[in-house]
Amino acid sequence: MASVLDVQSLSVEFQVNGRYLPAVTNVSLTIEQGETLGLVGESGCGKSVTSLAITRLLSKTARVNGKVLFSGPDPAQRNPVPSSGPEEVSARNVRERELLTVRDKDMQDIRGNEISMIFQEPMTSLNPVYKIGSQISETLLLHQNISPRQAFSQSLEMLKKVGISRPEQIMHQYPHQLSGGMRQRVMIAIAMACNPRLLIADEPTTALDVTIQAQILELMKGITRDFGTSLLLITHDLGVVAEMCNRVAVMYAGEIVEQGSVDEVFFNAKHPYTVGLMNAIPKFDATSKERLQPIEGNVPSIARMPKGCRFAPRCPHVMKQCVEQHPDLFEVENGHQSRCWLSVEGEA
Amino acid sequence: MLKYVIRRILEAIPTLLGVTIISFILIHIVPGNPVRVLLGHHYTAERAAALSRSLGLNKPVWEQYFIWLGHILVGNFGYSYVYNKPVVQMILQALPHTLAIVVVAVLAAHLFAVFLGSVQAYFQDTVFDQVVTVINYFLYSMPSFWLGLLLVIFFAIDIRWFPSGQIINVNDPHPGFLDWLHHLILPVASLFLISVAGWARYMRSSMREALLQDYVRTARMKGAKEFRVVFVHALRNSVLPLVTMLGLSLPGMVAGALFVEEIFNYPGMGLLYWNSITNLDYPIIMAVTVFLGIVTVLGNLLADILYGIIDPRIRYR
Repeated sequence: MASVLDVQSLSVEFQVNGRYLPAVTNVSLTIEQGETLGLVGESGCGKSVTSLAITRLLSKTARVNGKVLFSGPDPAQRNPVPSSGPEEVSARNVRERELLTVRDKDMQDIRGNEISMIFQEPMTSLNPVYKIGSQISETLLLHQNISPRQAFSQSLEMLKKVGISRPEQIMHQYPHQLSGGMRQRVMIAIAMACNPRLLIADEPTTALDVTIQAQILELMKGITRDFGTSLLLITHDLGVVAEMCNRVAVMYAGEIVEQGSVDEVFFNAKHPYTVGLMNAIPKFDATSKERLQPIEGNVPSIARMPKGCRFAPRCPHVMKQCVEQHPDLFEVENGHQSRCWLSVEGEA
Repeated sequence: MLKYVIRRILEAIPTLLGVTIISFILIHIVPGNPVRVLLGHHYTAERAAALSRSLGLNKPVWEQYFIWLGHILVGNFGYSYVYNKPVVQMILQALPHTLAIVVVAVLAAHLFAVFLGSVQAYFQDTVFDQVVTVINYFLYSMPSFWLGLLLVIFFAIDIRWFPSGQIINVNDPHPGFLDWLHHLILPVASLFLISVAGWARYMRSSMREALLQDYVRTARMKGAKEFRVVFVHALRNSVLPLVTMLGLSLPGMVAGALFVEEIFNYPGMGLLYWNSITNLDYPIIMAVTVFLGIVTVLGNLLADILYGIIDPRIRYR
């Protein structure tokens, strides 16, 4: 069976002063049914742009190339009456579509229905002038052939599922009456209302208190498992990845530099950037003499990308080859890839 | 909410009093004397003194003010010096004509401006947007009386589609509703064109800002169509500044109808005001001023109430 999401050589360029500058270069990743993939990297490395390119929510000044193959229920064979439980997706009624080339109308049918997204800013992501109930119902009404009354009761069910207390009351409240954590729960309810095959969460907990973060992560873990939803989790927090993900892709300066299972990448990191990230995590059992090791230098500007390896200017192991030649993603082990010349011999 | 409305109305009383004091002083500062207007060029000093006494104009201004205030508090706005008719009756005759122009023009201009500004913001910086922006600037910077004159010259005199003035065809023994409507179009069009330009610009910038907000991205994420994204999600958030302007524009429109009514010889409040000012007809000037003051207060109140209905974050106590 095909992967839920199969991104092939995705590139995004933004037009700045008449020039096209690369924000994302040649990103390929796949997500299987029910799997959680972490996309990690520091601010500005292109992880959000990648997710917005997949859902085609980027502004028109962006130029997107590559392929985004999404296999969802075939709209032609979709049961007009929505099934109550988690949808049984058998190979027979799944169809693969290339999202970058489908019509706008088809993309609208997919968004919110088969692919949903949660954003970083719960405080501003909900529309301030509409009640919570109608904002959840809207998704249902857009995609399912149901009455407003049915949509309302299904929305109420969703609010219960995302662990909101007093859901009947909250349905009639406005976003400004809720806390950040509650608003993010509402966003999850909106995103999951139509039981999508893929949920993309773009730093869903970054703006929240630490205690709330854990609750929201726990909720997302539970709800995606119950719904059988695949999750693309974008974060800069390796702790979140360890907690949530099956596989992880590390991005640096618009490229994926290392990819593999969480265990492989965490315990057997190959790329010097990943190794640097690991060393920069504060350790709970560190002695007082152990210091955090930041990665020296800065991320290259997208207007002036190095010709060779994009990490070369900051890399402690930089070689002549690194500056001259751009490395490919080399297979280190089964499913574990690293974009480093040291990985090519498979010995480093 | 009711408490809030009552409080706002009570708060408006001192404002209105201030307005009456200032306008009373102003019209007495204006050079000229109503007595001379009424008597024409040839009159004796005795006749002038007698008329001045009978109108109460021989008393000090502050005394005249309190006499006038005492009268209007019991609903007596006096008689027009020139027409010798009760002021209230004259206003009630003129008001419906002005309301017809203003209400139609304001509502049409607002609805159209909201639509046009939204569409412009959505297609910002395209050729369409730029062309509309140029036209808007052109209309916006045009004085209303001049635009009115142009409309008269073109539509009434050159191609004769519409009458050049009046509210009905005076030669028609049975003027009907359609005739009335026919006369309404040009004055309404002048007010409409003037106001739509400015409002559309406000709407454009307000909508531009709204379209960049996170909740708009959320709406797209839900799979909402672009029409819905703009006119359901962004519109209700971006229309707030225009609602404020709607309230504030009401008195301006009544007064702005002044030039339009003068040009089209349309017997509404504007023309009444205009004629009473040129004739120094104090009772009418004061009554219309009080009326405009009340409209201003009510317009503001209306804007605030609408604001609270559109934006749930605003609640009045």
